[in-house]
Amino acid sequence: MTSNVPSRDHSVSVDAPALRLTGITKGFGKVRGVEDISLEIRNNEVVGLIGENGAGKSSLLKILTGIYQPDSGTIEAHGKVVRFRRPQDSAAVGIGVVHQEQSLLTNLSVAENIAMTGASAKEKGTKFGIYRWKKINKEAESVLAQVGSTVDPRAIVGDLPFADRQMVEIARALRVDEALDVPPLLILDEPTSILERNETETLEREIRALKDVGSVIFVSHRLDEVMRICDRILVMRHGRLVADRVTADVTQDDLFRLMIGHESRAPKRPSADGLGAGQPVLEIKGVSRKGAYRDVSLNVLPGQCVAIVGTIGSGREELCRAVFGADTCDSGQIVVDGKETRNWSMRTAVRNGVAYVPAERKVEGMVGGLTAADNLTLAYPGTATVGPFLSPGARRKLVADWFETLDVRPRDPKLRLERFSGGNQQKVVLGKWLLAEQLKLLVLDHPLRGLDAGAAETVNAQVQAACSRGVAVLLIADTIEEALDTAHVIVVMRDGEVTASYDLSVDSTTAVDLLERMV
Amino acid sequence: MNTEILSPSSPTTTMSPESEAPKGGNEAPSRRRFTALDIWQAIGPLVVCLALFALVVLRNPAFLSGGGPGILALQATFILLIALGQASVLNVGSIDLSNAALSVLSAMVLAMTLGSLGPLALVLSIGLATLVGVINGLLIAYAQVPSFALTLGTLGVLQAASLVISNATTVYVTGSNATLNPLFGTYFAKLPLAFWFSVVLAVIMWVVFRFTRAGESMTAVGLNEKGAIFSGIGNRRVKVLAFGLSGFFAGLVGVMIIAQGGAASSFGLGSDLLLPGIAAAIVGGTAITGGRTNPLLVVFGALTVALIPIASAVLHVPATAQSLVYGLVIIIAVALTIRRSAGTVIK
Repeated sequence: MTSNVPSRDHSVSVDAPALRLTGITKGFGKVRGVEDISLEIRNNEVVGLIGENGAGKSSLLKILTGIYQPDSGTIEAHGKVVRFRRPQDSAAVGIGVVHQEQSLLTNLSVAENIAMTGASAKEKGTKFGIYRWKKINKEAESVLAQVGSTVDPRAIVGDLPFADRQMVEIARALRVDEALDVPPLLILDEPTSILERNETETLEREIRALKDVGSVIFVSHRLDEVMRICDRILVMRHGRLVADRVTADVTQDDLFRLMIGHESRAPKRPSADGLGAGQPVLEIKGVSRKGAYRDVSLNVLPGQCVAIVGTIGSGREELCRAVFGADTCDSGQIVVDGKETRNWSMRTAVRNGVAYVPAERKVEGMVGGLTAADNLTLAYPGTATVGPFLSPGARRKLVADWFETLDVRPRDPKLRLERFSGGNQQKVVLGKWLLAEQLKLLVLDHPLRGLDAGAAETVNAQVQAACSRGVAVLLIADTIEEALDTAHVIVVMRDGEVTASYDLSVDSTTAVDLLERMV
Repeated sequence: MNTEILSPSSPTTTMSPESEAPKGGNEAPSRRRFTALDIWQAIGPLVVCLALFALVVLRNPAFLSGGGPGILALQATFILLIALGQASVLNVGSIDLSNAALSVLSAMVLAMTLGSLGPLALVLSIGLATLVGVINGLLIAYAQVPSFALTLGTLGVLQAASLVISNATTVYVTGSNATLNPLFGTYFAKLPLAFWFSVVLAVIMWVVFRFTRAGESMTAVGLNEKGAIFSGIGNRRVKVLAFGLSGFFAGLVGVMIIAQGGAASSFGLGSDLLLPGIAAAIVGGTAITGGRTNPLLVVFGALTVALIPIASAVLHVPATAQSLVYGLVIIIAVALTIRRSAGTVIK
């Protein structure tokens, strides 16, 4: 043991659970993150953590890794009360995390990535700041061997397949724990969501092997996997822990119901009466893109809202980006309003009435350094220009009207958009497209992500208003409930393929039906 | 673009009543529309310029009566024109290292053709410079060569071209350059016509950035290129436009070189304008990271840069240490106007 690791208390019992949470609560203003969570993770146990997007899984993980501090409640690790103020604190009691987005440096070798997390010169394998390559490579090899991986420590991380990188990440997380001499607790945050099937199997084997060393919290969308790998399954919904079941005692159906809850709300979706059988605004005909989606076909009629549901890795994001020209597809046809869109730039797409509200709002959706007014008129300045010149008067009126319609707060269009809250930014991003008369197709990629209830309501109402004036909407919803609430048609995608399609005006589809086709 | 303060149409009132109490969990952004930094960015270059000018006049009152302002304006004319082009390019998030070399080349073309073509030679030399700028822009936009690398290459090419066509000697104007004489021969308010001409161009550029679709697109691309593309702005044509402008202004500098000296050479007037041009743009509040420029303030940036050698002389800074003053003024001016925040990428 090295000096910078806190020495173990003698009172710590080996039999104490690896982790015990009591009454953990964390709120974000009016948004609840997690509420009154109490749970136990025993040594040598693999526990699954499931729940819909927004159920509070990520908030809980962030509390366990010291990124968020709980408002109340206690955390005990190996029988001792601990407080995580920073990520290093949780690492110090043996909690290692493998995040959904990998945090490896792809231009360095496997061994370098593993060595880098070491706290002391000894762990880093350096002498006077200089790498001792032999030692580093040898250590990396033995760390990798422990998780059953045979990756060459000298390989550059960027050259490895995804599953191998995942193993490197796991090995790295484990190594941090090993220095501590306590059984490690490894948290895997949706590690399989982007893996190929055979890669998944390898990973499953590894996870089961990890049981001998320590305990694992396995967060996943795929229920079949959770059922296969885990000893026990925790279900979260709306920030609360709603079930704690031994795997042998539950069925997938039980889990579905626990995840979604029993309440079903009245649909808010716009009426489908006005929908003619007219010419579709968007026709996707057998498009494929290697590694993303295969042979997908779907149509969107004027005034219709089609939602695509699927987990991460289903290919729905890539598909939507291809419709806007932000991404290419390998084969097939995308036709907008009768025009083949192959080789369309985003500029051409916009000029043809296609709009896209991206999931990455701050990067792709807006120019934060410009004022809210400038952002509103960025895509279609036509309504507020005279020749090449902007018309300040016309623009002021147009912007004031839309600020009113969208209820953007504060009502100050001359403020830079980056200084508005996320919900109000999203209203402006949406308004940028809605103010155009030529708008034909609205592609929404997680339009409600990170929005509070009020802003979400405004955005939903505006999307429905667009539908009723004949705009076609292609929606990637955050949750299944959101899709059921707003769409006329739901298309289910799994691993890049369309597995089902439901016309909600005819079918009485439930969230369980959809989930079954997603995972 | 932070030009709101200078805009006559900008309301000076604070927020409407609703904004005082945002509801529904909407987080209220800071009440003040303009931070202290915003205000400093809007007037800083003017303050720096006036302070330096006052310093010179106080230490050496003869500067005013002895035609000092005229000389200052003459120097500033070259710097301002090249800086206006540079500011356009910086505003879209790129940089043009070739503009000074381009101005020398276009001056040579003008010198060689002025006798035979007369006023048409002006069109030819400015047109050629604009074309070279557009080619720079096209290569950057379509071959996606970073502007720093590409214009470093063009700089070499242009320098070689001017050495070749001039045989490494000085090219004198063939015939008479009487048509260009008024530029530096006529004075308004004790300052040469050429200076006023470039100030008018700065005002025009301000209008372009502030009030045209193209100007707004350039600023949007400079601030967040991805966000701009996803809003349907053609980032490529915007880059080509910016480099075209830079070429155009380099062509104008070429005209000024001939108007003032009647000759051009590879190492003569204009050839050392690259760094002063960048400095004037930056001291004038243009962000090297893109998306922020104000041509009106670049005028003061250019005057400041032109004042530095004069101020150094007045303050008896030894000639050998003049570039020290030059360097310090630039570092301080940029440090004062740049937006800093934790966790951002440092270039």
